Amino acid sequence: MAKITTENYVAEAKKAIKNQVLQEALADLQHRFGRGTAECYRQLPEGPDLRLRAHDIRMKDIENLDVVLETLVANIRKNGGHVYFAEDGQAAVNYCLEVAHKHKVRRVVKGKSMVSEEIGLNDALVEAGIDVSETDLGEYIIQLAGETPSHIIAPAIHKTRSEIGSLFADKLDIPYDDDPSRLTWAARKALREKFLAADMGTSGCNIACAETGHITTLSNEGNIRMSTTMPRIHVAFMGMERVAARLEDHDILLRLLCRGAAAQNMATYVSYIGGPRSAGEVDGPQEFHLVVLDNGRSRILADEEFREMLCCIRCAACLNVCPVYAKIGGHSYGYAYSGPVGAVVTPLLVGINRAADLCQGETLCGACQDICPVNIDIPRMLLALRTKLAEGDSAWGVTPADRKEKLLFQAWSWMIRNRRLYDAAVKLAATGQRLFAQKDDMIGRLPPPVHGWTKGRDIKPLAAESFISRWKKSL
Amino acid sequence: MNTASQEEFIHKIKIALGKPLAESQRNVDFFKSDMSDETRGILERIKNRTPEERKKLLATLIEAAGPINLKVISCEDINSVTAAIADLVRDKDPEWGAKKSVVAWQHPLIENLNLPEALSPQDVTVFFTDVKETESGNLRQHVIDSYIGITAADFCMADSATMVMRTRPGQARSVSLVPSIHVAVIELNQIIADLKELYALLKWDPQESKEGLTNCMTFISGPSKTADIEATMVHGAHGPRQVHVYVITS
Ligand code: SF4
Repeated sequence: MAKITTENYVAEAKKAIKNQVLQEALADLQHRFGRGTAECYRQLPEGPDLRLRAHDIRMKDIENLDVVLETLVANIRKNGGHVYFAEDGQAAVNYCLEVAHKHKVRRVVKGKSMVSEEIGLNDALVEAGIDVSETDLGEYIIQLAGETPSHIIAPAIHKTRSEIGSLFADKLDIPYDDDPSRLTWAARKALREKFLAADMGTSGCNIACAETGHITTLSNEGNIRMSTTMPRIHVAFMGMERVAARLEDHDILLRLLCRGAAAQNMATYVSYIGGPRSAGEVDGPQEFHLVVLDNGRSRILADEEFREMLCCIRCAACLNVCPVYAKIGGHSYGYAYSGPVGAVVTPLLVGINRAADLCQGETLCGACQDICPVNIDIPRMLLALRTKLAEGDSAWGVTPADRKEKLLFQAWSWMIRNRRLYDAAVKLAATGQRLFAQKDDMIGRLPPPVHGWTKGRDIKPLAAESFISRWKKSL
Repeated sequence: MNTASQEEFIHKIKIALGKPLAESQRNVDFFKSDMSDETRGILERIKNRTPEERKKLLATLIEAAGPINLKVISCEDINSVTAAIADLVRDKDPEWGAKKSVVAWQHPLIENLNLPEALSPQDVTVFFTDVKETESGNLRQHVIDSYIGITAADFCMADSATMVMRTRPGQARSVSLVPSIHVAVIELNQIIADLKELYALLKWDPQESKEGLTNCMTFISGPSKTADIEATMVHGAHGPRQVHVYVITS
């Protein structure tokens, strides 16, 4: 199974903030993509409000998911493809292993896919003794380095060219070089051999189209086309929600996806795959398998508060504008999904308590919703998750994260509804605060148990006399 | 295969959506849409496009091609395309081996280029991805060995500079992918405005919709690229490093 390290959020975030290389790369990414995407939306013939229409389209797809999915798979079977419905990650992985075993697969090339990260496909294949290569350049670098991706679209942004140069010198047995072009071509050469020797290629699915019976995959590098064209067998994994009903809907979603993901009008390569090679065709895979994955999604679907999250088309636009992601980077989020999308999806998939820090770390600034190609109200869902953490929720199996905090707020709520008590407390605090060091008219350190407040910031002292009492006097 | 698991899976979705379990009546209307007036308008527009309007689309295509490093060259007639390709073959060196060979689609437009004859003075072999080659078992190797791949296209969308190719016998998908340089030859009337027009054709045009998307429809917008190392743009990650599109305007 995939590794989940959401518990390390704080520690990983600290590490990331100290990492100068990462900080610069993240800033650059946000600067280019964040702005570029917004500009792309403005230039749409239909204008940026197309996002709102896209939201409605996605919601309608989700609310009819049973019909839409059945149509998709019926069409794919008609085209000669195999479809497998996987209840969870393990079932999806097992199916892939079965197919691999049946066809005596020894080498697999992987086209980048979030779902395969989610289910831990890589490790499972390796354990089965299969040679697995990531083929997206960023993912390939990460695989050689034995790390995990830090961004959905740019997995290796945390590595410098000289680090990559040394890595390639070591692993590919080539002279050290730190020129990005020559490094890219070195990887091109190494991976070309992998593509041509592979027995099986795997991919994800960006947005399928039900009425035609196709999955679509996007890439700029061409690795996904290679992985789905050259090997004998193609296995595609898709989250059960990643499907549009009709071509008209697909048009809008595809255009928005390209803009959201990389501020492009169109990805360099878009493939619509409906089945294996047909009779008389001279190349392409002989077998095509589609694995449709639930893995906790039906639970999200059942909860109207979070159903909207299934509209997500995993474009990563929200990462590129998120002020929190910009500082702490992808590793802190501890699972396949990072940034605002991860802060909602990960708790829902791996457990709300377990991933509590993720939704609590975000700022609720709303930038993610504004840039989201399908206008998902992420801040609303972050708040909903926090409410569950504060109050507990039996349906999601959430225990209140901090009973002390809850007690404190109950006391506070009782006090502020009690005028005289409140006045007395404020007076006491105004007198008592003189005991603490003040600098430039600010309090720099409070005592336990409230010392956390001043850990990273100073606070303003209370006025000697409250507004209400001054106001009363002047009457 | 696995119909049991499918039933359970879909059943679970229905419960999640709160749909009545006994609901057997399919929501058929969901997919049934009549051709909208907008679509009718789009199809009319494509059909009645004047040569001037087509030239305008070509200008849009050239403009969109610039930033993504796609080379679009307009040629008066097919002979000038042949000459241009012969020049390209002369000027460019193979990336992987020393020997120059070219692989091309079996397609009327491509066969009319008479490439074997045009390239024989340079001693360059042209392989066609036809059934004969497939049966001989050499096709894959020829594609791998060739440094230039030549294809036609079904359409070209001007606003994003995207070539659209469906898969058919004789028209191997790997020709536009594995060789270092991809050359595509199209005619002026294959240029359409955008994705909306393409989808309207594929879904509603009687002829196009009969063939449908095929089992593999590919969009190509320029050469392969990556910016995964320090956000520096590099062309030729895995696919072709260069893409040349020749548009026959006559
Ligand atoms: S939440 Fe929206 S912006 Fe973020 S990945 Fe999903 S679709 Fe993209």
